This record gives sequence, structure tokens and C-alpha cells, in this order.
Amino acid sequence: MMIDFLQSLVDGVLVGTTYSLIGIGFTLIFGVMHKINLSYASASVGGAYCGLLLVGAAGGKSALLVFLMAAAAAGVIGYVVYLTCFRFIPASHPLGTLMSTVGMLLLIDEIVVHATFGVPVAYPPLYEGPSIELGELYIRPDYLMVFAVGIAAMTVLTLLLYRSRLGLATRAVSQQPVAAQLCGIALYRVNAATFVVTGVLGGIAGAMIGASVGMLSPLLVLPLTVKGLIVTVIGGLGSIPGAIVAGLMVGGFENVLQYYRGVTERDLYVMLLLFVFLVFRPGGLFAAKSERN
Amino acid sequence: MDFYLALLQVIGIHALIGLSAYVVILTGQVSLAQAGFFAIGAYVAGMLTVLAGWHLIPALLAAGLVAGAVAFLVGFPALRVKGLMLVVATTAFGEAVRLFFFNFDYQVAKGGVRVGPLGGEGFKQIRFFPENGYTTLDVLVFIWVVVGVVMALLWWMDRSRAGAVLRAVGEDELAAQAMGIDLTAVKVAAMTAGGVIAGFGGAIYAHYTTHIEHFNFGIVLATFAIAYPILGGLSTAFGTVVAVLFIQGLLIEGLRFLGDWRNLLFGALIVLAMNLRPHGLLDAATTLRLRRLFGRGGAGRDA
Repeated sequence: MMIDFLQSLVDGVLVGTTYSLIGIGFTLIFGVMHKINLSYASASVGGAYCGLLLVGAAGGKSALLVFLMAAAAAGVIGYVVYLTCFRFIPASHPLGTLMSTVGMLLLIDEIVVHATFGVPVAYPPLYEGPSIELGELYIRPDYLMVFAVGIAAMTVLTLLLYRSRLGLATRAVSQQPVAAQLCGIALYRVNAATFVVTGVLGGIAGAMIGASVGMLSPLLVLPLTVKGLIVTVIGGLGSIPGAIVAGLMVGGFENVLQYYRGVTERDLYVMLLLFVFLVFRPGGLFAAKSERN
Repeated sequence: MDFYLALLQVIGIHALIGLSAYVVILTGQVSLAQAGFFAIGAYVAGMLTVLAGWHLIPALLAAGLVAGAVAFLVGFPALRVKGLMLVVATTAFGEAVRLFFFNFDYQVAKGGVRVGPLGGEGFKQIRFFPENGYTTLDVLVFIWVVVGVVMALLWWMDRSRAGAVLRAVGEDELAAQAMGIDLTAVKVAAMTAGGVIAGFGGAIYAHYTTHIEHFNFGIVLATFAIAYPILGGLSTAFGTVVAVLFIQGLLIEGLRFLGDWRNLLFGALIVLAMNLRPHGLLDAATTLRLRRLFGRGGAGRDA
């Protein structure tokens, strides 16, 4: 009994890395622009598709190549999303960008359905090999690989944010856009760069979801959007460590409940978890200390 | 002809869910819970007419009341947060309602057939309209009478003090609070009103399709609900109806000749519309111009 619990917990936490990455994407864009980008999960899955289809069209088979292509394609999609949904809509009107990103979500989904004729496509696993046994516990190597790639992506992102000029500019814009502009930071360029960086991150997440599920389908987009947003809120808006911890937590939590209560009730408990957080800790796990909105 | 009548029925139902989101958005809150209230209305009204044998009108009112009561209860915890947090909280609530009906069984044997909601298979045989001999036109009239009543009430509210209070909260919470407006009371009231309207919409929807399933009430419907008022503009309730006509009439039915390409254009046109008219199709300036055109509300009133 105990071992089943542990097994589902471990599997869930490992796959939860993908939720973390999507959550980081939402949180970063929110931190910099104070806007929600609802098309983010669909852009991520779209990028993963692009990687697969582009490499497939070129006759390649390497899973690594698919991953790199997915990240690059999702970065480009991120830039397009910025141009079409944010750049020309007044910043004082959050409802406008909310709606335009919904339109973008539907558009990307439909392009994917068109390109694949609505059929789910098989996705190559990053690594295949025998399961690792820890006592009675089995650790699936593809899940472990997903976890490792996720951690690596987060580390690179943290370095980028805290050790580079672009990161400095991004953090400046997120604190005070006007002051940042007065210091000579090109606001639109930093915003666009944030979209490209989060896009790349999303592409990696999308490819990892494809790799861990074994296939990709446009049906993944909506649940992923909801889970990503939940992770963002539970982790605390704008907090990257929060998004990471919350992603792993939600992943483990839902997998354990899936084991005990079945797949149809699983998400009900995730929503309840969110409500518990909203009532008792509305700021999330790692709430920002200063309120400057 | 029947095709256009059916289209007008769909537009009427979507107008109701759009208007339910409109009331909430007036206070500056984006609620993705409307599909949840809509689902509650649909199931409550369906169970009342099918299982309890009620007439549709009392069932409709009861559905509105139950959905409104749930909205009232959800409003208190949910409206403590705003912005993105509220979007997520209400999304989660809507999904929780959907998942509840996904796992909800309550079947009763009636005349040898078991009727009632049955989990994932949905709730079949909500046959009030056919059993009572309503024609398509009758149903259409019924739907638009309800829409008309709701529109009239909203129009009246918009011109009264209540409308000004809602808009004040939507424009600037801090300023509204400084004027002595109780923010929580206003937001919860708007949420409750939205819940009642969505409940009406759901009740009609259940009887219009005769078969409801949990996935009718997912995030897509919730997104459409907020899309109507945002696309239409918040200056009058008519904007919401214009947006429903734009989406259901033009984008969905009008572009049907494009076949598969229609779905592609759908998202692209929403993006385009938001870029060209960020404040909605019927924004404040257009409303003012229209008012002048019809000789009402001079420059002094709206300037």
C-alpha cells in the first residue's frame, strides 16, 4: 500500500516538472508585463509540434534534434504572439490582451489540427533504457530524463535572469517599466525578448510532455493551460521558485489522487487544493513581499 | 428557414451567457465561472422538469435562483483576489462544477425508462418543448422573451445608480472605495446577478438541446462568455449582443462556406478585432456617435 503511494508520488513529481516550466512561463510574462498570456500553453505545444514536423520533413529521426527544433520554433512563436497580441494593444487595457491571446490560443490549436489532420502524433522519447530500481520503487528513465531536462532549463533561466544584462533589464522592467525606460532600457525589445525566452522554455516543456506521454495531441492544450495557471497561483504570482515547487507539488498530488480516486475525479481535487490556497494563503507559497501595483 | 430560426436560438442562448459575464466585467472582474453557473442552471432546470415534472417557467426561475445562490457563495472567497488570481480561481470553480457533473448520477425510473443525469453519459431526454408541442418558432420566441427581459433589466440598471456604482468599481477601485462604496458588496452583487442570468441561460440551453453533457460546460464556453462583452465593448449591454451576432452569426455560420479554413480564420479574426478595436466593437466613442445619430443624449450628458 505504502509503496504504491510512494510510486505514484514519485512518478507525479517527476512529470510535474512540465507543469513547473509552463507555470514559470506564465509567471515570467505576468511579472514583466502584468498581463496574462493565455496562448502560452498552446504556443508551447505548437512549438513541440513544429519541432517534430520540421525534423520529420527533413528526414531526421534524432530525438535531441526534435527537442532543439521545438525550443527554437516555440521561441519564434513567442515573438509572433508578442507582436500580434501585445505590442499594438494599449497597455492600460488588460481585457484587450486577454481576449487577443484567447484568439491566438484558438488559432494555434487550429493550425495544429490542420497540419496533423486532427490525429495525435507519436513523440520520440528522449532516452530509453531499463527502469531504475530503488528498493521496491521503480523510476522510469524517460520520466527521470524529463526531470533532468526540466531542472537544467530552469537553471539556465535563473542564470539568464540574474547573471546577464538582459536579465537585469527584464527585472528592471518588471519592477518599474517607466523608470526602466528612463534608464535607457528599450522597453519593447525587453518585452519581446521575454516572450522569446519564455517561448523557448515552453517549447522545451511541450517537447517533454510529448516525450513523457509518448504522443502529442491538441487536446493537451486546455488542461495544460489550467494546470499552468493553477501552478502560477499556488506558487505565488511572479515567483519563479514558487512556480517550480508548486509544479512538482501539483504533479505529485494529482498522480496520488489519480491512484486513489481515479482519473475522472483527479482534477476535482486539484481545484480544491487551489481553493484551499486561495482561502488560506492567497499570495501563494512564495508571495512577493512588496505590493507595488 | 428553420436553419435561421435555429441560429437565432443559439444567438439568444449565447447572448444570455454573454450578458451574465457582462455584469461581472462591469465591475472590472474577469470571471471564467460563468460556464459553471450555466451548467448548474442547465442541470437544475432539467431535473425539475424531467424528474419533478415542473413547468419550464418555474424551473427556469428556480435554476436562476440556485445558480445565483451558488454565485453568491463563491463570490465571497473568490472576490478576495483579483486580476489573474481571479481568472484562475473562477476557472478552477468552473472546472470543479463540470467535474462534479461528470461524476454525478441521479437516475429515477419513469414510465419504464430510467431518466436523469448519468455521469459521463450526460443527462438525456429533457423533452419539455417537444412534449408540450412547442414549434421551433415558439421556442425561439420563448428564448428571446427571456433575453428581452434580461436586456431591459440591465438597460434600466445601467441608467440607475446601481449601474454607476458598478462602473465606478470597474474604473477605479480605490476611488470608488474612497467614495464610500463597499467593494465586496458590489462585486458579490454583480457576481450573483451574473449567476442568475447564466442560470436562466443554462435552463433554456438544457431544454433547447434536450441532452446535456459535462463537456458542454468547459473552459471553451467560459471563454466565449467573457469574449462577448470584451469583443462587444462595455459601454452598453447591446455591445455584448452585437459581439454574439459577430461570433455566432458571422464568424461561425457566415464563414461556413470556407469549410475547414473557417476555424483558422476564427482565432485570427479575434486577434485582428482586438488589435483594431481594443475597446470593443461598440466602444464608448461609437456609442456616443450612435446616440447623437438618433438624437438622444446630447454632448452635455456624456462629455
